[in-house]
Amino acid sequence: MQTSKRHFLKCTGTLLAGVAAYRLAYATAHPEAKPDAAKQYILIHDQTQCIGCDACAIACRQTNQVPAEVSRLTIVRHGPYGEYPNQQYHFERQSCQQCENAPCVMVCPTGAAYRDPQTGIIKVDDWKCVGCQYCIAACPYQVRFINPVTRAADKCDFCAETKLKQGELPACVQACPTQALQFGDSLDKDAQVRKTLNSAAVIRDNESLGTRPKVFIIADAKGEVTI
Amino acid sequence: MSAFHFDSLVWHWPIAIYLFLAGISAGAMFFAILLKYACLKQTAHESKFILAACIIAPISVFLGLGILVVDLTKPLDFWKILVFYNPRSVMSVGVIILMIYQVFMFAWIAAVYAKPIQTWLGLRFTPINKLLTWLAQQHASITGLLLILSLSLGAYTGFLLSALPGYPMLNNPVLPLLFLISGLTSGAAGALLLGVLLKGQPDSKEVKFIHKIEIPLILVELSIIFTFFMGLVLSGGQKQVAAATAIGAGFWGWVFWLGIIGVGLSVPLA
Ligand code: SF4
Ligand code: SF4
Repeated sequence: MQTSKRHFLKCTGTLLAGVAAYRLAYATAHPEAKPDAAKQYILIHDQTQCIGCDACAIACRQTNQVPAEVSRLTIVRHGPYGEYPNQQYHFERQSCQQCENAPCVMVCPTGAAYRDPQTGIIKVDDWKCVGCQYCIAACPYQVRFINPVTRAADKCDFCAETKLKQGELPACVQACPTQALQFGDSLDKDAQVRKTLNSAAVIRDNESLGTRPKVFIIADAKGEVTI
Repeated sequence: MSAFHFDSLVWHWPIAIYLFLAGISAGAMFFAILLKYACLKQTAHESKFILAACIIAPISVFLGLGILVVDLTKPLDFWKILVFYNPRSVMSVGVIILMIYQVFMFAWIAAVYAKPIQTWLGLRFTPINKLLTWLAQQHASITGLLLILSLSLGAYTGFLLSALPGYPMLNNPVLPLLFLISGLTSGAAGALLLGVLLKGQPDSKEVKFIHKIEIPLILVELSIIFTFFMGLVLSGGQKQVAAATAIGAGFWGWVFWLGIIGVGLSVPLA
């Protein structure tokens, strides 16, 4: 009994230490953000220019064949703010934030939710996805959904499989009549997005979560704080 | 998709039942091991309560897995979870644990019942006989590993939920502990109940032993729940709101209440 107890404790200790060391080593050896990527695509939504016309959402649906009951991109209207007749709305873009530190990639058991190392875009491998919906629960921005046609998780991928493949800008960026959306490679020194990042007061949604979104926002001054 | 995006409800109900069943299985196994080693020793295969635990553990874990697979949007592709691993995913690690757990669970059950099965088999099927003898010899190591595995399984269900950054209610370090203890108590309670139904003696030494461990466990559990919700309230902001919605009407609240209050009440009755 004595020896078996000692044996058992030894086994337990080794196993636990091994598991802990493995997790730690893995976490340090694989930081999620990959600065050596060829490109780092980012998007900037300038709320001060956005008029809430929904052109981006409609273009997205057409380009990426998004079924009617789900959407990759929605514009949410907040307001009205102010006293009549000086009333204004404030528009928020809801779509995948292309997190640098993406919870969806972290939790996916099969690796179907992954980061494309070439572009930094978070994509879904339809074939690998089993539809466990863990990523839907893990995404703090609640932008993932199950595509009723493919039965796989789906969300905005900056039109990686459609417009980007043809060398064009994402559909939403092209459709915007007020140029409220800017898209580009943040590693490219001459890119317009880079200049904007350096000159405008950009924010990111829910920064405290540590997800490091690559969708940036130029916040609208319109809106009000209820006290 | 509004069902997934309701504030305090992450997945829909089948997942809650799966987590609950996995916890029960781990708990039943855990108590069977404790019973055998601290109380029954070599006579374990005669106990109705060990039998009950050995029935509950496989059934609940299979039922849970079945629910999990059926709940995938592509149930026929479930094998992909077994083929592709993501070592950073709690779910993936959990599936590995679950698989190894099942192997050791059956090995343990076979080892406990090695003698009766061998007598029943007589001289037929010698390979099985040999396997059983071998398992019985390895009993100590199997027990040790199974103990660790059942504890990991119990805690894993909690980690699964606490890995969700967007839900202040669940993204909480106390949660895995709560799930572990809640699973252990429910599993033990289940084994007790079934043991009594199988005509085990309600005043036998096994029952006394389980009660001796279980009552402190329930008290610990209550204090963890208290810590859990107090922690939510004291950290304020979003977490406070989450606590308020969950205790009363939230679905997870329902699971907690059913598992803890329901089973917690049925133990003293049994
Ligand atoms: S916003 Fe959601 S879906 Fe997009 S990368 Fe972040 S966690 Fe993943
Ligand atoms: S639903 Fe698909 S993409 Fe999402 S976590 Fe599960 S397997 Fe991965």
